[in-house]
Amino acid sequence: MSTCVELNRLEFSWPGAQSALLSIPHLSLARGERVLLRGASGSGKSTLLSLIAGIHTTAAGQVNVLGHDLAQLSQHQRDRLRANEIGYIFQQFNLLPYLSALANVTLACQFAPARRHRLQGHSIEAAAEVLLDRLGLSRSQQQQPAHQLSVGQQQRVAAARALLGSPALIIADEPTSALDQAHRDDFIRLLFEACEAQDTTLLFVTHDATLAPHFPRTIELHELNQASGAAHV
Amino acid sequence: MFKLALASLWNRRGSVWLTVVAIAVSTLLLLGVERIRVQTQENFANTISGTDLIVGARTGSTELLLSSVFHIGNLSNTLNWNSYQYLQQLPGVDWHIPMAMGDSVQGFPVIATTDALFEHFQYGSKQSLQFQSGGNFATHTNFTVAVLGAEAAAELGKTINQPLTISHGTGDISFSDHDAHPFTVAGVLARTGTPIDRGVFIPLQGQGLVHGDYLPATEVETTHSAEGHAHEQHAHEHQQESANEHSAPPVYTLSAVLLGLENRAYALRLQRVINTYDEEALSAIMPGLALQNFWRTLNLFERALMTISVLVVITGLLGMLTTLLASLRERRREMAVLRSIGAGPVTILGLLVCEAAAVTIVGATAGTAALYAVLIFGADALQNTLGIQVTASVLTLREIYLLAAIIGAAIILSFYPAWRAYRNALADGLTVKL
Repeated sequence: MSTCVELNRLEFSWPGAQSALLSIPHLSLARGERVLLRGASGSGKSTLLSLIAGIHTTAAGQVNVLGHDLAQLSQHQRDRLRANEIGYIFQQFNLLPYLSALANVTLACQFAPARRHRLQGHSIEAAAEVLLDRLGLSRSQQQQPAHQLSVGQQQRVAAARALLGSPALIIADEPTSALDQAHRDDFIRLLFEACEAQDTTLLFVTHDATLAPHFPRTIELHELNQASGAAHV
Repeated sequence: MFKLALASLWNRRGSVWLTVVAIAVSTLLLLGVERIRVQTQENFANTISGTDLIVGARTGSTELLLSSVFHIGNLSNTLNWNSYQYLQQLPGVDWHIPMAMGDSVQGFPVIATTDALFEHFQYGSKQSLQFQSGGNFATHTNFTVAVLGAEAAAELGKTINQPLTISHGTGDISFSDHDAHPFTVAGVLARTGTPIDRGVFIPLQGQGLVHGDYLPATEVETTHSAEGHAHEQHAHEHQQESANEHSAPPVYTLSAVLLGLENRAYALRLQRVINTYDEEALSAIMPGLALQNFWRTLNLFERALMTISVLVVITGLLGMLTTLLASLRERRREMAVLRSIGAGPVTILGLLVCEAAAVTIVGATAGTAALYAVLIFGADALQNTLGIQVTASVLTLREIYLLAAIIGAAIILSFYPAWRAYRNALADGLTVKL
């Protein structure tokens, strides 16, 4: 199994901060792996995710995504890598409210030529419809403006957008915290199925320990992170 | 990306509409002012043509021009009949139109003249006056006849053969009507788009009659006692004289005389001759030159108008800037979503610039459309209320430049909010706390 994400001796602190927020000696996620990263609020989860997504860069250490050292890439190249290879799901408000559900999903391919390429001749719309069908949105719901959908439906649309065009990695930042338990389990199940079908790595971040049984691998951030500054926030 | 910008704008259409309207209104104003400026200048230059010299008593060229061509203001000095006769016999004079002003009909200036006006006066590109109905003074045997300009006829509601009362002085309301001498409308002129349209033309003899200057032999006895008032410009002794003299001129004084020459080249020399006339202090002006000088004085006003409309455009654009900046905060999540799917900060910047461009283009287009709507549907109203004549011709190069300048300025301005969004996008990354 090839490596999808690899962190080496990562150090990160916000500009002006006294001590480092993150200090991670090593972390490796294999291709197709489904990993739960658990950490308390303020423990640097979101920061770690933005480092992996290439929004911010590290002061020291190495972030490798699909064999690319992010520090070596330009801003534009990192944006391009993120567009092509990383699907990102937020806690909520994932969608552009003025676009239809379908348009929100197809937006993912707008900046990502590699994703369009991986659709293998299917049109973007057709692929998005299939994905949304699989995630349980009716065709009429797919045409509705995003803000008319329920939160659960919105999260499934967000998942579809992250999945479209088979990116190598899905980063989900507390995607279920706005959902009740039934919807939450449902959402995770659908996400797993889709990731399995596409051989996509899933990095699922939450503060909720009750989700751990769903995942084959769970990482506790406070065990991983050697930085003292973040521990007591 | 442009589609995305449009969708985002559509989502915020409430506030965006207002911006579009503000830009449309300022565009309308800017183009409108430009239109009026150009067309006024054109109309202005078209008021008189073919006349080589305008002669009046010694006065400023602008005053003489205003009173003789635009029928505005009162000349305090007049030239007397002898001088008019002198002008007629000058070498090279082809035709001459005498003009005596001072009376009015409900605010429309009365110009006492001769049939030479209808024959020789030209405007625009050497167009002669045309009768819409009726004919000149010669069509009637008596002197109490009038020819009306198109606009004067329409507003006074007079057609041919209807009676007309002339008032003393030039005010709208006069306390001294010449109602002892009702005039008959002999003819109505076709519209010219010049001050002629607002004129009421009567024969010199008619003017003399109402002011008691001119007394046809049969009327001498009755009028002598009946006529009490005198024109301010006409001294009493003249009145007495006129009653006694047999071949009295129709009026003793004139406001101005328009001269047409056999050859234009004589104008300069003749002007000098007239200006140095010994018997009376006269001044002769060349209408083209005087119009230009006068236009230059109006320039200031025109520039002020242009400045105001440019300021209005800037206000409109600043309004757009404010709307864009205000929307940034509520759109941080939108930006983060776009970032998460791989949109670079430059894309975010471009998105905002696109939005501003779209808003301005729509606004400018709407403003231009509104301008044409006004030109097409409001031309008559403008002509009647403000006396401004405009035509719905295609955009001039200068107007296209103005439109381009508006859009260009909007795009340049939009770089500020766009740059702010860019900074936000870099700083926020994907973690926007709402």
